[in-house]
Amino acid sequence: MTKTLIKLENIKKVFFTDDVETHALSNITLTINKGEYVSISGPSGCGKSTLLSLLGLLDTSSDGIYQLAEHHVSNISKQERARIRNMEIGFIFQSFNLISDLDVEENIELPLTYRNDLSKTQRQQMVSDALAKVNMSHRAKHFPSQLSGGQQQRIAVARAIVGNPSIILADEPTGNLDSKNAEAVMQLLDVLHSEGATICMVTHDPRSAKRADRNIDILDGQVVADQSQNANKKNSCEIAAA
Amino acid sequence: MIWQDFKYALRLLSKKPGFTALTTLVMAAGIGLSVYMFSFFNTILYKDLPFEDGASLMVVSGSYQGKRDRTKVSLHDYLEIRENVQGLSEFGAYRFQNIIISGRDGARRFSAVFAEANIFQLTRTDAILGRTYTAAEDSVGAEAVVVIGFDLWQSQFAGDESVLKKTLRINGNSHRIIGVMPQGYLFPHSAQIWLPLAADATKLSRSDTIYIRGLAHLNEGVSKDNINSQIAVIMSRIEQQYPEKNSGIGAYIATIPGSGGSGGEPVIYTMHIVAVLILILASINVGNLLLSRALERGKETAIRVALGAPRSRLISQMLWESIIICTLGGLIGFLVMAWGLEVTNPIVETFYADPLAFWWTFGIDGYTIKLFVTIVLVTIILTGFIPAWRNSGGDFNAVLRDGTRGALGKKAGRLNKILVTSEIFISMTVLIASAVMVLSAYEQTHKDMGAETDRTLVANVLLTEKDYGSPKNKVQFAKALQTSLENSVGIDKAMIASALPGHYSGTPNIAIQGREYGKNGNASYPRANYISIMPDSLAKLGVELYQGRYFNNGDDGLDKGTVLVTDSFSKLHFPEQSALGKQIRIVDSNSKQHQWLTIVGVVEHTIQGSREGEPASVPSIFRPFTQLPTAQLTIAMVYTSNANLAAKSLRKALQGIDSELASYRIESYLASNVRITAPIIFISNLTALFALAAVVLAGSGIYGVMSNTINQRIQEIGVKRALGATEQRITFEFLWSGFKLLLWGGVPGIVVGGFMGFAMNQMFGTESSALILIFVTMVVIVASAVMVATFLPTRRTLQLEPSQALHYE
Repeated sequence: MTKTLIKLENIKKVFFTDDVETHALSNITLTINKGEYVSISGPSGCGKSTLLSLLGLLDTSSDGIYQLAEHHVSNISKQERARIRNMEIGFIFQSFNLISDLDVEENIELPLTYRNDLSKTQRQQMVSDALAKVNMSHRAKHFPSQLSGGQQQRIAVARAIVGNPSIILADEPTGNLDSKNAEAVMQLLDVLHSEGATICMVTHDPRSAKRADRNIDILDGQVVADQSQNANKKNSCEIAAA
Repeated sequence: MIWQDFKYALRLLSKKPGFTALTTLVMAAGIGLSVYMFSFFNTILYKDLPFEDGASLMVVSGSYQGKRDRTKVSLHDYLEIRENVQGLSEFGAYRFQNIIISGRDGARRFSAVFAEANIFQLTRTDAILGRTYTAAEDSVGAEAVVVIGFDLWQSQFAGDESVLKKTLRINGNSHRIIGVMPQGYLFPHSAQIWLPLAADATKLSRSDTIYIRGLAHLNEGVSKDNINSQIAVIMSRIEQQYPEKNSGIGAYIATIPGSGGSGGEPVIYTMHIVAVLILILASINVGNLLLSRALERGKETAIRVALGAPRSRLISQMLWESIIICTLGGLIGFLVMAWGLEVTNPIVETFYADPLAFWWTFGIDGYTIKLFVTIVLVTIILTGFIPAWRNSGGDFNAVLRDGTRGALGKKAGRLNKILVTSEIFISMTVLIASAVMVLSAYEQTHKDMGAETDRTLVANVLLTEKDYGSPKNKVQFAKALQTSLENSVGIDKAMIASALPGHYSGTPNIAIQGREYGKNGNASYPRANYISIMPDSLAKLGVELYQGRYFNNGDDGLDKGTVLVTDSFSKLHFPEQSALGKQIRIVDSNSKQHQWLTIVGVVEHTIQGSREGEPASVPSIFRPFTQLPTAQLTIAMVYTSNANLAAKSLRKALQGIDSELASYRIESYLASNVRITAPIIFISNLTALFALAAVVLAGSGIYGVMSNTINQRIQEIGVKRALGATEQRITFEFLWSGFKLLLWGGVPGIVVGGFMGFAMNQMFGTESSALILIFVTMVVIVASAVMVATFLPTRRTLQLEPSQALHYE
């Protein structure tokens, strides 16, 4: 039986700028099951990145219910959100977002340092494992500026998975990469998925989107399509349009 | 091209009036304060005298045990120096002496200069009316002549040219007026009357020599250090020859303005350093603001580079902004500083009872203008060049490709750290040095000098040698005056002394019976303030008696030898025993054997003159005026209700006793004491102003830099929060980095500020515990400022959602 990891009900996000009200997301309702590989697509400004931010607890919704691993997370404290981000979510960004002052190992170790339950040795082991997974062990002591874009993104992937999160959220992970490096990163995500990782990826690239099990299309802040790639049939999740 | 860049810079500045106003005001404060400080000290200490060859005119002064304290030198030592030193020419000698000029309209006291005839030639100045006196007139037994100043000529003789046919009655003797000096000629300080020195060393022995100051021109190509080395050798030889009289006695040359700085060097250097630091602080602030603006415009710069703009052009464009800000700020600062210098004149006049030295005219002069222009140029380079250079050499490709503000990386982070560290260092240094100064001024003004000053008027009277040459006459006069005053309307009590508590007095060597002193004479004897005072005056002044008795009528008599000592004297010289009954005597450099004096009482410590550390702790001994009368009298009168009435009574009483005597410096006792601490209070207020500026500049500057640093790291904060860092964790991280910067800047700041503070404290004598308290307080202030300046922008950034932070542009 598939287990629901994420459940959104009537999620709205409204931005206010100089008395102008912008509805970035309108009544989004969807679920993501554990182990799923979901891609979110849509044109620029459709709200896909906003949705990813809400999923990643990087932002709060204006209305609606968000359940992550059966816990209501819509109205929890900032500290609890930070804890969930740290323990349950791994992020991969388009522009890598590695900290330039930290070397590769330190960058990967960073999320682990925000936990109080790991010893230095445990952290080192986890970093070493993550580096091995992305085939970057030989670059452990390099700084981001000494790496190519593809290598930096692989480090970012390692950082995302180092804490064994429940879900990996990737925001245009290949957007800043050439096709060769993009393919390498996507293969890495495929491997992670095959090992059981839940992945939710925002992408413009149809080729990347096709690699996911399921594709959610967003237009003007609403889910307009939610299709399983393999079965080419509608997913069980509800589609709701405002 | 330049015009285009200038117009562009103007347009940019006018677009952000708040930024322009802030940076201009910061520069105005920095430039104005530092130019003021340099100009102030230049006027006091370094200005060339406004005569032909004024820069080479030196004064030969005396020193004691290495301390260049502007004392006089003996005529014999001066003559030896004149004979033997190579590199000085046109020697002259002078000394100040108070004189009384009497006439039909009463008597007035003047500070006159008794000088050798060539004093006028030394200053390349001739009389505008009549002539100056000749060498023949500057000899013992010659006709008494006098040269008067322009102001005296105008005020006393209404500028009448027939003044040359008139005489002045000086100290009871008639002197023929032979010349009038030009307006503004007050050499060597504030003189209005010049009289022949008429000193013949051949008729004087070393024991009864007179004391003078020497003058000479420094020959071209000869340094002052060279001359001072020669003088040291000469004085050392004299010391070996006359150890009893000359041990510890030295001499030195200095410019006339510069001769007054001895002992105060730590304060003078500190103030100069503080001025430079404030300027640097202001420059860092403006430089940082310009840098953050330059970073904001990184994309625009990148587009210009893409369009082919050479680096020199980019730098030129960005430099124009700092040229406008520094010039505009400088001009505002200059105007405020000019006003500040102008109002300094009346303030400084309150420091002295006599007119100020003639070169002490604070205002805009050539030096100030040159300094101002130099400082503006330096600030333009400091504030403009670094941001211009930094922003003209970035990774423009990355900026254009990513559309971000540019990769800031380690270099920008390092620059920001350097800026913050510098600000912390400067503010810590300035605050500690200023706090030491302010605390010292506070302590000095609140020191108990040992006497009551309420409802008390003080005045001076100078007895002339002609009528009061004998001690008996002086005693009779003092008794008559005291009786007359106490019987006058409006006066409750009258006290007479050579110097009142709080006022300067002589500090001769003393010897205690039964103690042995070295053969080095001078240097081996202790010193004490030595004051003659009418027998009942100490009690009337409120100087408390600790042991024994006050003086009484039984102490009257020129042949008697009783003395009261202060508690400090007793503790210093008789620590484990009572001083009562012990005998002491004055030892003067003429080796004259004074009588032994018996201590009959111990009174509370009185401060005589300087309130600074060591001088303030010098003990005092009091003799009955009836045993040791002096020509210089200070009178204190406790009035019943009206100070003016008391002053009138004093004049009337004097008139009744001797119409040829003048009272002068009539003022409240409090005012006469305040004047002694006025310079340090002024300097301390000035330092406090600098400290305030430092706090404001550093506080806002550190906030600006930290804010800028944190702004540049908003995306990084977003990443860290996305990875699970809590707000507390991020706040802690930034506070910790702020704390590390605090250590980097603060520790050297404490060291340098502490060094300056301790150097000044050698002079002030503030207790170590107070200094430590200052250090701790200043560290807390600066640390709080840094922490607040770090916390506020961090908190502001954390108010952004992580998603906003991640996409922050």
